[in-house]
Amino acid sequence: MRLFPASVAVSLLLALGACKPAPPVQPKDQGPVTLAIPQQGAYTGAYMDFGDNEDDVTLETIEGFEHLIGKHQAIVASSSYWGEESFPTANLNIIWRHGSIPLVFWSPWDRPYVQNRGPDRFSLTSILEGKWDAYIDRWGDGARAFGHPVLVSFANEMNGTWFPWSGWFYGGETPVASAVPPASGPFQGPETFKKAYRHVVDRVRARGATNVLWVFHTANFSDPKEPWNAIEQYYPGSAYVDWIGSSVYGEQFIEDPWSTFSVTWDWPYNALCALDPTKPIMLAEWGVGEFPQKGSKPDFIRDALGTIQSRYPRVKAAVFWHERWQNASGNYSNLRANSSPESLAAYRRGVAYPFWLDKPQFAPLKPAPK
Amino acid sequence: MSAPDPKPFVFHDPAGKRWPRLRILGFFVALVLFVALTGFIQSLFVKPQLRLPSSVRQIKGQLRAIQQQALAQPKALDWQKFTNLGRSHGMPPIGPSPKPAPPRPKAVQGIRAAFFTDWDPDSLRSLTEHGSQITHLCFEWASMTDGEGGLIFQDISKVQHSASAQGIVLMPILNNLIGRDWQPEAVEALANGPAERRAAFILKLLGAVQEAKAGGILLNWEQVNPADQGNLTTFIEQIASGLHSISKELWLQVPMNEEINTFELGRLTGTVDRFVASLTDETSDDEPAGLIASQDWFEGWLKVIQEYGDPDRWIAILGAYGYDWTTGKRRAEEISFSDAMSRASYAGVKTIESGSPGFNPTFSYEEPGGSHTVCFLDAITFLNHLRAVKAVNLGGIAIQRLGEEDPQIWDILSLPNPMEPGKAALDRLRKMHTSDSVTNVGQGEIVTVDDTHDDGVRNITQSDGRYVATYTNDLPTFPTVFHQGAGDEHAVTLTFDDGPDPKWTPKILDILKEHNIKATFFVLGSQAENYPALVQRIVNEGHEIGNHSYTHPNIAEASKKQIELELNATQYLLESITGRRTILFRPPYNADSNPSRVKELLPLKQVQDELGYLIVLENIDPEDWARPGATAILDRIKEQRELGNIILLHDAGGNRSQTVEALPQIINYLETRGDRVVSLSELLHIPRDDLMPYANSAQQPYVRMVTGIGFAAWHGVEQTLWAFMIAATGLVVLRGLLVAALAARHHRNRSNAAFDPDFAPPVSVIIAAYNEAKVIQSTIRSVFDTTYRGEIELVIVDDGSTDETAAIVKKMAAEDPRIRLQCQPNGGKSVALCTALALVQRKMIVFLDADTRFERGTLGALVTPLADPAVGAVSGHAKVGNLRAFIARCQGLEYSCGFNLDRRAYAVWNCITVAPGAVSALRRSALDEAGGFSLDTLAEDTDLTLCLHRANYRIAYAHDAVAWTEAPETLRSLAKQRFRWAFGTLQCLWKHSDLVFNPEFKALGWFALPSVWFCQVLLVAITPAIDLVLIFSILAGDAARMGIFFLAFLAMDMLLAVIACRLDDEPISKAWRIVPMRFIYRPLLSWVVWSAIIKAFKGAWVTWGKLERTASVEVNIS
Repeated sequence: MRLFPASVAVSLLLALGACKPAPPVQPKDQGPVTLAIPQQGAYTGAYMDFGDNEDDVTLETIEGFEHLIGKHQAIVASSSYWGEESFPTANLNIIWRHGSIPLVFWSPWDRPYVQNRGPDRFSLTSILEGKWDAYIDRWGDGARAFGHPVLVSFANEMNGTWFPWSGWFYGGETPVASAVPPASGPFQGPETFKKAYRHVVDRVRARGATNVLWVFHTANFSDPKEPWNAIEQYYPGSAYVDWIGSSVYGEQFIEDPWSTFSVTWDWPYNALCALDPTKPIMLAEWGVGEFPQKGSKPDFIRDALGTIQSRYPRVKAAVFWHERWQNASGNYSNLRANSSPESLAAYRRGVAYPFWLDKPQFAPLKPAPK
Repeated sequence: MSAPDPKPFVFHDPAGKRWPRLRILGFFVALVLFVALTGFIQSLFVKPQLRLPSSVRQIKGQLRAIQQQALAQPKALDWQKFTNLGRSHGMPPIGPSPKPAPPRPKAVQGIRAAFFTDWDPDSLRSLTEHGSQITHLCFEWASMTDGEGGLIFQDISKVQHSASAQGIVLMPILNNLIGRDWQPEAVEALANGPAERRAAFILKLLGAVQEAKAGGILLNWEQVNPADQGNLTTFIEQIASGLHSISKELWLQVPMNEEINTFELGRLTGTVDRFVASLTDETSDDEPAGLIASQDWFEGWLKVIQEYGDPDRWIAILGAYGYDWTTGKRRAEEISFSDAMSRASYAGVKTIESGSPGFNPTFSYEEPGGSHTVCFLDAITFLNHLRAVKAVNLGGIAIQRLGEEDPQIWDILSLPNPMEPGKAALDRLRKMHTSDSVTNVGQGEIVTVDDTHDDGVRNITQSDGRYVATYTNDLPTFPTVFHQGAGDEHAVTLTFDDGPDPKWTPKILDILKEHNIKATFFVLGSQAENYPALVQRIVNEGHEIGNHSYTHPNIAEASKKQIELELNATQYLLESITGRRTILFRPPYNADSNPSRVKELLPLKQVQDELGYLIVLENIDPEDWARPGATAILDRIKEQRELGNIILLHDAGGNRSQTVEALPQIINYLETRGDRVVSLSELLHIPRDDLMPYANSAQQPYVRMVTGIGFAAWHGVEQTLWAFMIAATGLVVLRGLLVAALAARHHRNRSNAAFDPDFAPPVSVIIAAYNEAKVIQSTIRSVFDTTYRGEIELVIVDDGSTDETAAIVKKMAAEDPRIRLQCQPNGGKSVALCTALALVQRKMIVFLDADTRFERGTLGALVTPLADPAVGAVSGHAKVGNLRAFIARCQGLEYSCGFNLDRRAYAVWNCITVAPGAVSALRRSALDEAGGFSLDTLAEDTDLTLCLHRANYRIAYAHDAVAWTEAPETLRSLAKQRFRWAFGTLQCLWKHSDLVFNPEFKALGWFALPSVWFCQVLLVAITPAIDLVLIFSILAGDAARMGIFFLAFLAMDMLLAVIACRLDDEPISKAWRIVPMRFIYRPLLSWVVWSAIIKAFKGAWVTWGKLERTASVEVNIS
């Protein structure tokens, strides 16, 4: 049905217009630059409901979100699914010209993009066999041609079971043949992942895409919670990682229990810190559903935006997951910042701290590691 | 008085043939000009024979029927999950099972509601025509914006007016839709939030309902979380009880899909007045192509709703519209029944059948933009739906929506028993009538129109107890607008109307160049004509040019001839400037409103069919012409960008600084959002050279020649005029500055002038008098009341006066031997002076007008310069003595800053052109050498002065030799005097034309005489023309250009006046008189100069033009 009250849209957008667009912050031409690790504060960013494939990036959506929460975004996240077999040049240009750094979830899976289906034609093994080298190279060329800093989270939340690239699907706990003693690993699942990760990074780097910053992006808690599936089992090595990241969600589904922000983040933070003593840490996705009978979403948001400043000094970026979706039951999970006026107020207030950096900062690009 | 003089004189034409010849010549020149002008105008009516190049393929010819495309999965059986039967198989109930509800009064049956939309003129038309068949009207009204209870209301005054006039109950819609996005949080947060927030919201709502004079509201909430349905029910109950408390109704729109779970229908049956079942949109516009309301689906959901409350509490929405899905596009286009007919007809669809299983008509077609699948609802689907509704005794129906319906649904609604329509009624339904409503085909704002329309026929049969319509090739057609140029979603183009403009267009071109963007300029002929170089620049820099008419008329109101003339003139003009034609046309005004009636199509049809243009409208209009501020211009474009791709801006027609300021931001915004700002040719995939073809020299050579020469001539005249204005202003300013500088030098040097106090030779003073009785006595006395120590001899020649002049002088002569009177018959001033000269023997001669009086020092000052033997004549300092009348005061200023200032200046370079007869001194020997007074000009003093120059004498100026003369006090007498001067000056200029630019006479030939030609003849003569242009440009609101020149002239006059007043120790405030003089004095001077020129051509003699003496010169002798 076309129900399109033009005047309503117009008045809303007029209100929107009051929020002046920030001029693109582009570093002066002093040779190649990269995203600096901020000395003070942390970057604020978001994924904002870019559609079913998480890649329908529009300036209107970005500006609409920024107007909603009252702050420019230093990082704007979106996805690049392997099934599309393309580099998201248009999306990245929109984000860059808008004055933000793109964070791309580069996820090796195929249509239909449905969780819990197991490996498809983009399996880690097919990647390791070199089947997708041409695509990886093209993607690397696209990244180099883009020419500005871009955060890339390849194959995220590998320590779960829902994505087809999880160690779970690649031999999981089975120790590799050479393991002594076998019980302490290394294990086939994580080892396959690491090899594939390094393979992909090596190929992209070989294409000269020195502007890519690699984000090693786990789920905050491993599932299953077994030693073989621990975060550190998947760490491909500091030479392959620029940022260490994690997804940090509170309650997302009505049937799940409520938890506070510190419960979701205290332990994972320490685990991530232990991977490397210097790498900056990023909440590559964070959010919580609105279930007022179970717990307070405003409190969760307030805690997150507040305690990151005081208790988690190595966190240098946090990317909020702003989406509402319908579950199979017909119910909705509402992770949007504006799921209720109280949640929106908490987000707006929390993110307004100067600690939360609204613009990327830049540093000279060091020569790529050989 | 005007008796022909026998003696030859300058301009004398004894044969009297010059004037008649001139008149004949003038007549022929006028005739040729007239014929040329007529030919030029005629040629503008010759159509330019534009031919749309083959690349400009009309979408109309490119629609093709294709194989019916596969439709999405049918949802016909979805309803089963929501019936008791379905629930017994494990589906959750929709809220608690209906309790034995409290007995409610039986609801009124037979409701006929209709949905109305404000922005579609067809909707209003349908409401006006069929309002009598409607009981309730639903329309967009209030949108919930956020969880705090924010509401945005639409202006509904228009619909209020037309509905109340027909006694229709208003049921405005309260929804949670903003733009195209549902806002579930806006509802959920109120339902789940604190009670006070809900209470405040409901209070606000009730106030608005009363203000809207509505009968209640229709609640349309979508995408609300079913998990919140308990709170939601409470919220709805609170709204209902609020409405009931003010005797209003609450209607609730219930989705007929999975979302039906949102509402606890079981609980709500007790409170909601009507459930409005969305028995349409089985497939919505954001889903892949499918059926809109298939019959099984429709009847299945009817079964579901019967399980909730009394059937008479339910109203069924009956769809009456269509969807057109384009492959690859995100959303289907909502279309009317007639749109569907047009599309099928122009695509040549052979058969459309609305048979089993869906009973919804569908067809597919393709055009260059993609392949399409259309599903639409017609009168027959309406009949089937209506019968199903009647069969279960619902409370009524709601038609969705007015303006898109098959008009014959109204025939069905007037059937006494739709269950048994009868053969006659079905026969009526077979015949489909066209109307003058306009249908639309295609997407984009480059349009072509077709006003043909015709009735059609469909077959109606029965199958499975339902009626089936079969459309074959006899489809009805409607007046149609064919759209193209939608482009891909990231292609956008900039257009600029009303230019070119010398101030703003170059700035816009610079910005476009900097961003390497090509735009389209729809130029006005009137502007292009003024700024051809800008037109050329637009084309040279790769932009495209379109025709926007010559004078920006509203073509809906203009006659056909006028439209033709407007477009042709602009076309030929563009061609003469650029060598190219353009096939692009944008109508002035209303470029954004698509025509909705056939009469609005006709001017476009003429432009397209008869004149051969492609019509370019626009769909992003930030209204920059209204100067809302650069930020607002940008914001409006942001708002509209997703709905359109042709941006309208203006590069002329007022101050466009905001447009210029916004343009880089607009470009940056578009590029940031990932758009490509392309030219129109790129958007249309038509080569630029096809949109703007080079003029073919073989085509219409005669017309092209005439229009070309015509525009060239017009350009030439105009350019020359401006060049002249610039040159003239420059010369006047230069001359003024030079005169000022020289006069100042003269002023500084006068005290240094060699002055020999012992030089007091005997002088003869000569006065020629004609009827000077009133003044002659005081004039004579002023001569002798002098400090001059030399001998004075006074000779008065009475030139046949008819008054007491001779008698008075005779009496004085009798008392004073120095005075001599000579009488002669009237023969003119020159003759009188010659007579006098023959009588005197002194070496120094002073001339004095009979109406002019000396001061005591005048004579001495006047004669002193003659001590230098090189000086042949001395000009005195004449001043106006009778400063009573305004006219005279003006002349006083003119004497100071015109004559005397000039003389001061000219004296420095020895190029005084006239030692005035009123007060001057001459050396007798020089006078004789120069040949004495000649009788062939009216300005014997000028003539003589120029002759003295020829004899290499200096002409000096004695500023202290003040003589008070009597100036004319009426315009008439002034005109007479000035005519004599002007004619005399012309004669002298003519007689001595060999002096001009003669190397022997440096300052005189190169400066003084050309100054006279230029300032006193040429400029004065063209004054009226300049004034006319000025008045015209003020009326045309474009005074700036002309005004600059006008002010420059005035400022120069003012400057000279101020300097003159200062040098003469007069109050500077007098200089202000220059302003009124400009408006009274200059036209008068112009008139006399023209009289003199015409007289000169006629060659007839001119008499003195004698001043009426009043004896009003009062000399204060210090």
